[in-house]
Amino acid sequence: MFTNNPFTALTDFWPPLVMQVYIVLMTLAVVGGTLLDVYHKGSAKFFARRKAQSDAAATRQVSAGETASLAMKTIAEAAVSGEFCKWPRRLSHLLMMYGFFIYITTTVVMVFAYPGTAHVPAILPALWTIGASMILVGGLWFFFFLRVNVAYDGDSAFHLGRADLFVGSLIASVAFALAWDYVQTTYANPTATWILFGLYIFFTTLLFGAVRWSKFAHMFFKPAVAYQRRVEEANGSSDLPRPSTENYIVRS
Amino acid sequence: MPTYTDMTRCDGCGECVDICPSDIMHIDPVYRRSYNIEPNFCWECYSCVKACPQNAIDVRGYADFAPLGHKVRVLREPEKGVISWKIRYRDGRLKEFAFPIRTTPWGSIKPPQDYEKPDLSAIGSQMLAHEPEALHIDALPTINKTKA
Repeated sequence: MFTNNPFTALTDFWPPLVMQVYIVLMTLAVVGGTLLDVYHKGSAKFFARRKAQSDAAATRQVSAGETASLAMKTIAEAAVSGEFCKWPRRLSHLLMMYGFFIYITTTVVMVFAYPGTAHVPAILPALWTIGASMILVGGLWFFFFLRVNVAYDGDSAFHLGRADLFVGSLIASVAFALAWDYVQTTYANPTATWILFGLYIFFTTLLFGAVRWSKFAHMFFKPAVAYQRRVEEANGSSDLPRPSTENYIVRS
Repeated sequence: MPTYTDMTRCDGCGECVDICPSDIMHIDPVYRRSYNIEPNFCWECYSCVKACPQNAIDVRGYADFAPLGHKVRVLREPEKGVISWKIRYRDGRLKEFAFPIRTTPWGSIKPPQDYEKPDLSAIGSQMLAHEPEALHIDALPTINKTKA
């Protein structure tokens, strides 16, 4: 399970091109879904209007070097999910984010660079399994214990709503991917293997095909907002008060 | 003038849902961010505004201190014991206010159950429970009747 390319067995039934085309289609679905989401929410208009307001209210000009520095700080903050104020949510998001990057990257490399061969560098299937497991651990932790509507708003841990479309399809996709990989390498049961593969593809397609309706695009919007906020603080147009220069804590 | 959440700032932590005394701050089922479900029932206590760690909740101030079209934002700095407010008026003027809110570190106040249970004989004392130590003084001031 940890050493074989899980996508090799598929080439017994159809050419490697099929999975490659599927990945390209899913990539296009993400791009298209994000653009539709931007159009639907009016995000581009929102950011343009906010930038115009920020420029009009600016008390100082931000230099190009400073802008680059703010962009770097934003990327550094996003890399450690620094925007979260509570460590459990931050940790679960980090597990899902890095697990997702590892899982997607190794999937693409195995499908495109090693089509039809089971003997790939051992690190690839190992990382694929580790990435999927990270998503599963972070996702289940978030889903059952950290979802704010469950933890604070009285919803059942099994409550499903539109806000769960992204995390739910992500968890189901990697869970069935791992189950499919395990069953095809451990048991010679073609029926179970095909059922699990079908579920894996169904939830993966749902994950990438439902971007317009799910929270998938929040991973693009959040850094954009964080960057805009940093620019507003730097050019003096932020609506937030300046941090106090005095400390009133005088006694422990 | 009720509160509203800037969804681009909100990270869905739930602090406002937890603190709202009217139970009207809830979680949006589509974006999983907080929102005020019933602005008519908001009594403008500003609890959520001050509790939000992301400064994502805005509130419109009363017309007697800020005419319509303004913004009121708050910055809570518990580590400094201060809350600061900034009003941006519709004509562009800005006013900032900083209010000291406490002199002891956040979370440092001992809850009643952490104090030793008073002796029954204390019921005959003029002192309230745990006075004067709880007041951080040696003794309560008394009136010197010879000088009065």
